[in-house]
Amino acid sequence: MSTDHATNRSQAAADDAAVPGRSIELTVNGAPRRVTISDRDLLVDVVRGQLNLIGTKVGCYNGDCGACTLKVDGQIKKSCVVLAASVDGSSITTIEGVAGPDGALDEVQQAFWDNDAFQCGFCLPGHLFATRDLLDADPDPTEQDVRDALVGNLCRCTGYVNLVNAAMDAAERRRSNGSACPRRAGDTEGPQPADACTLHH
Amino acid sequence: MIRTALRYHRPSTAAEVSELLLQHDGDVAVLGGGTQLLPQMNRDQVHVSNLVDLRGLGLREIVATDDELTLEALVTYSDVLLSRDVADAAPHVQRVSRGVTGGKQLRNTGTLAGSACFAMPGSDMPAALVGLQAQYRLHGPRGARMVKASDFYTAAFATTLGPGEFVEAIVIPRGTGSTGYCKVKHSSGSWPIATATATISETEARVTLGSVQAIPLQIDVTDLIGSNETRRIDDAVLRERITAAVTDPWTDVLAPGSYRARVAGTVAARAFTELEGSLA
Repeated sequence: MSTDHATNRSQAAADDAAVPGRSIELTVNGAPRRVTISDRDLLVDVVRGQLNLIGTKVGCYNGDCGACTLKVDGQIKKSCVVLAASVDGSSITTIEGVAGPDGALDEVQQAFWDNDAFQCGFCLPGHLFATRDLLDADPDPTEQDVRDALVGNLCRCTGYVNLVNAAMDAAERRRSNGSACPRRAGDTEGPQPADACTLHH
Repeated sequence: MIRTALRYHRPSTAAEVSELLLQHDGDVAVLGGGTQLLPQMNRDQVHVSNLVDLRGLGLREIVATDDELTLEALVTYSDVLLSRDVADAAPHVQRVSRGVTGGKQLRNTGTLAGSACFAMPGSDMPAALVGLQAQYRLHGPRGARMVKASDFYTAAFATTLGPGEFVEAIVIPRGTGSTGYCKVKHSSGSWPIATATATISETEARVTLGSVQAIPLQIDVTDLIGSNETRRIDDAVLRERITAAVTDPWTDVLAPGSYRARVAGTVAARAFTELEGSLA
């Protein structure tokens, strides 16, 4: 058994040696990071494997489930359909970059907690990013707006009812504590609403 | 993970792209949004040793003139949804982009040109672009050429792109008339079973079906335009015309061809109903 493992490891090392690679520069949750990658690496695997930011989950590797959602240069993306080499120089935000320095939950996270909006938690980072993305653009969404915003994220535990309630609650909390972005989704040109709002990035 | 010893190329000119595509012909793919290509490579369904990323060329512009709208190759669904030029010149493109599966994350990533080139029968964009009489600006080893979207598709997942060629931009003419759209899909996270783009102008009326056959199917229904003021096309006659035109329906895991053939007439009729709403 141990010999097999050793053989597999040396084979893997030999394979890796033949795989083209490069060094890329990323800004990860505000801090500059230089990472050595293989050209074939997907962003999600670099984030989890090299950067050890395992809050980003891998569900389907097909762009369906949304568990690997993070922000690249201000836009939410599913990091399983992004090649790491193609985002050299980009700024990325993972779920680890959302909490305050003391680890306190923001109002969206707190609303999800208070509304029992997750059970196993696997889909949670993706749902938090999708909700924040909506609220950064539209501080007063309708329930249908929320459902449209969460359409790219799958949850097998909640049945979505509490997720929608939590998103509506989060919007209310942002409005009442004054952190809602004043820019409205109706402004369709210029910087995107999510980029224009600097309170939550 | 992707199992091939992939090499990533990031050229900065169209000539370099064509050179790389030619040099590695048969063992290379263009990286647009990557939302189709990368999962297929990850599943070991596509084995190429070279990816040519277009990001070094920019190609993210949306340009509107009096005559046409140009969408460069890396323009995403989100880009067109945020563009007043697109809303003004080709609202149909926004209508279709809004319904693309995968949520905002995918609309931020996937490109219209990527979908156009992927030529997947069960997808929205190829037939919508054929219906809008779009042309694709190709760049190849001998320079640029324009190809009509309606001439671009040769079979499922196959196009007229030659060795060294890639799509640089989609060009949509203005003033081709009013458009209506209908899409049938069986869940919000799935692919279309049938789509119809209905267009009507002073001189002609057409339906372009997507997902129903291997490649987009155009059906001229100009002779069905009603002679009275509303120019209404009779539903029953339209359905009959559409059903007769669908001779080789597409079968995949989502639906058999017989089902697609059965719903095509209704989907076309609904696209015209939507169009009438916009004319009123």
